Amino acid sequence: MEVIMVDPEKCTQCHTCSLWCGIEIGSVAKELSQAIHEEPQPVPRVHVEGNNFPLHCRHCEVAPCIDACPNGTMRRDPQTGLVYVHEPSCIACWMCVMVCPFGVIAPSSSQHGAIKCDRCRNMEYPICVDVCPTNALKLQETRKGLPEKDSQYLQYSKGLEEF
Amino acid sequence: MDFVQKKTADSAVEPFLAKAAEKGVSLVWDRYEESLPQCGFCETGLNCRDCLQGPCISHPFRDGNKVGVCGKDRDILGVHSFLRLVTHGTMSYLDQLTDFAEWVTSGEGSPRDKGQADKLIKDIQALLRDGGAEVMEEFPKAVLDGWRATGIHPEGVARDLFKVSQKLDGGTSSIEDTLLWAFKGALSGCMAQLLQGRLKASVFGDISPTDVEVNLGILQLENPTILLYGHFSPLLKQKIAEAAKGKTIAIMGVCTDPLVPPYSFSPVTNYGSQEIPLMTGAVDLIVAGDQCVNPSLKELAKEWNVEVVETEVLSGGRELAGFAQGIVEQAKKAFDGRRKVTRDIPPVKDTARMGFSPKGMDVKKIVDAMRGGKIKGLALLAGCNNVKFTQDHEIVSLARELLKREVFCVSEGCASISLAKYGLLNPQNRESSCGKGLSNLLSSLGKDLPAVVDLGSCENGGVTEFLLAVGRQPKELPLVACFPEANRTKAVARAAWTVALGVPTYFWPYLPVTGSPKTVEALGGFCEKTFGAKMNVLTERMEPVEKADLLMKDLKRA
Repeated sequence: MEVIMVDPEKCTQCHTCSLWCGIEIGSVAKELSQAIHEEPQPVPRVHVEGNNFPLHCRHCEVAPCIDACPNGTMRRDPQTGLVYVHEPSCIACWMCVMVCPFGVIAPSSSQHGAIKCDRCRNMEYPICVDVCPTNALKLQETRKGLPEKDSQYLQYSKGLEEF
Repeated sequence: MDFVQKKTADSAVEPFLAKAAEKGVSLVWDRYEESLPQCGFCETGLNCRDCLQGPCISHPFRDGNKVGVCGKDRDILGVHSFLRLVTHGTMSYLDQLTDFAEWVTSGEGSPRDKGQADKLIKDIQALLRDGGAEVMEEFPKAVLDGWRATGIHPEGVARDLFKVSQKLDGGTSSIEDTLLWAFKGALSGCMAQLLQGRLKASVFGDISPTDVEVNLGILQLENPTILLYGHFSPLLKQKIAEAAKGKTIAIMGVCTDPLVPPYSFSPVTNYGSQEIPLMTGAVDLIVAGDQCVNPSLKELAKEWNVEVVETEVLSGGRELAGFAQGIVEQAKKAFDGRRKVTRDIPPVKDTARMGFSPKGMDVKKIVDAMRGGKIKGLALLAGCNNVKFTQDHEIVSLARELLKREVFCVSEGCASISLAKYGLLNPQNRESSCGKGLSNLLSSLGKDLPAVVDLGSCENGGVTEFLLAVGRQPKELPLVACFPEANRTKAVARAAWTVALGVPTYFWPYLPVTGSPKTVEALGGFCEKTFGAKMNVLTERMEPVEKADLLMKDLKRA
């Protein structure tokens, strides 16, 4: 399947990905100047943390959130392998939030449900990848072995652990 | 992410876009598209680089990261964003004024009216020193009283602009107070523009309605051609024209004041397409200032083997006549060296009558027509081009709408060039462009008035002179100002003082303040309460017809 790869060396922490995710995916207006005044505040699905690293859902092959979900709200798209929230059935119990090893599922009280990245599965291309000004985010196929940047990503995670 | 489908409305420019693509030449439109999406924090004014602890943003979609390191929240960021633009814009007018005044005092000009010039120089010094310029006293008393009551009347560059710039450094001022400082700064720009126009009149004589040709079709096949770009001393322009006297050398302008009596420099094109003249091959030398000149010209000029002479340099160019002589010689030589280059001149041009002034116009008649309901009001059109819109489309369509709806339109600066390219400054098109009441008024004002009346370039205070000639508080009359394709910081400063004068102002694209609800509100409600006019910041997409509807509503209210 295709996943979003992150090159921390290219990330400048400009937050453009999270801003645009908030507009395109999180907001009702889909226009920056109006989205910034929306209530409830739009929730971006990507978070730029320290160490130049935009974090999204990794769409784990063995996904703890799917296992923990008590009523089948957290689902996997059989065609693309992407993990998504089936919003109408979410009971806001936050089991998925607790078990996510990356902490990328947001419990949204105002929207009564779990919010996470579905890698823009209904769009042609993930918005964060599209808008990243330095190409730090890339969409890559993982099925046939690790892509080139993957090894860099793994090394980076290892570095984080040691730190 | 807004791609502009149609780049320009100008049929002279359009063929060159395909040619540029073929040649792999990158133009302003290409660079804009490559820059998309532009930074959303900057676009909404939610960013700051005013110290080294940042850069900071206020993230609209995160619970943390709402406030900058020093504590600037979204409202402070928004109002500072406005203040920064106004300050920079005001400096442009002060730069033009002090530069010109310096040349005049150094004895370069030999003014036509020496007594008046000396008087004006004194007034300019007073404006810079303590703001006590006599010209201030010509403003309606009610306007001046309003400025004094809020404390925004100019009190000298040192007191005003130094302070204004330091508002960006910090402090605990309220949004409204910070905004008033921005208006205070802008008023220095207003006085500077007015004084520069008058000083020019005393040195070169009054500008009078002059017929000039516009657009790329005026470029010449057989003669050496010098293009003057942007703003630099009008005395240098005069000297270049004098040096070329009696020689078959064409001197034309782009984004520069076309009228320096007795000379005129026909506008070849306007801001949005300022790179295109080079692509015709019919330009032999460029003389360029800083203001309104795209840095991209340098590379493009290299490609077409054209030299660019800079006017704003630290050393050299201090002896104007010699400098001008050198420029003319260089152009002749360049023309001989470029004979092999094909000159590809599109056959598109129009005639424009430019350079009206309230001195030669029956302003009272216009005011009476407004009060008597013969016309619906008066619109000031300003601003140049912005790559975010189809070049010229917004301003020309809006002007056409307003004219049809009986609104008297005056224009200033590069807005006039946009309108001239489409015949709106050509007296022949008056009847067909205007509503009946407006057409009657225009013909009663003079034989050959065009549909839109140009009040001179942004180096003259034509529009302010006009408002002074009206002689009453602008807020008592149905007036509206509109910048449909604004671009430079100058336009922001210009819009700010127009609001301070009491004229409701519309500005597109929306100012980078929309991240701050308080700033947007203050520019609207607070300004209306203080000056009787709003600075309208509108984020919705609108067609020119809808914009015209909006303006008409404002005119009706007055």
